[in-house]
Amino acid sequence: MAPLKQGDVVFDVTRPGATREQLVLFSAGTEDPNPIHVDEAFAKRAGFPTVLQQGPMTTAHLGALLAERFGPRLASLDVTFTAPVFPGEALRLVGKVESAGPEIVLALSVHKPDGTQSARGTAAIRA
Amino acid sequence: MNMQLEGKVYPPYRLKPDRALAAKMLAGQGVAGVAAAVPPTYFLFLRGAAHGVDLFADLDIPREKALHAGQRYEWLAPIGWDDEVEVTARIASLAEKQGKGGKLWFADVEYEYRLLPARTLALREITRLVKRS
Repeated sequence: MAPLKQGDVVFDVTRPGATREQLVLFSAGTEDPNPIHVDEAFAKRAGFPTVLQQGPMTTAHLGALLAERFGPRLASLDVTFTAPVFPGEALRLVGKVESAGPEIVLALSVHKPDGTQSARGTAAIRA
Repeated sequence: MNMQLEGKVYPPYRLKPDRALAAKMLAGQGVAGVAAAVPPTYFLFLRGAAHGVDLFADLDIPREKALHAGQRYEWLAPIGWDDEVEVTARIASLAEKQGKGGKLWFADVEYEYRLLPARTLALREITRLVKRS
């Protein structure tokens, strides 16, 4: 495999929108008791139109993509959630090489179908 | 937010990765089957609540006012299915800021996961929580 260089796209994948059932499963799997992910009335009282997809699900998608590609060379992942994600919203996850020196730094972005960025971040890969 | 808790270190607790919980995580992500390896983000702050690290209660963040601003993971050594880790949580920083819609409070909480019995640091996780006014 050729060495990565600045600008290379490491992944550009779209995950289908999660169902409410998937949100229930993810909350169970992460031991997350927050009703905002599973209780429509609670989410509305909190000011949202419906339940919120868990931020850690976005992190888990990115972590899985990075681990699949880089295995134990994956050193770090830093994710900032910038907009809520709702059930049914597909996520496009892109990882692009920002710099390739002794360690490779990737710029990460996550967008919803309407173009809204729901998360951004960086990952570091050991040489 | 209980700003006086900045710097608080919780008593350590122990965790072992659980295949059933990991399978539910993956199913939630839309991935069928079982995980061959422990998913990279399997360990997360939420698992501390069952071990006395209830950030939302301690920091006075009602769930309906809580937002999750972000996460950071640093992987230092692999953690396998049969491993046990000791987890130490520390409230690293607390801050109050004025937002457009009112005050916001920010909490950065750091978790260190050490492989037992050697207590080798294997994973560092930082979670960033926000309380809306």
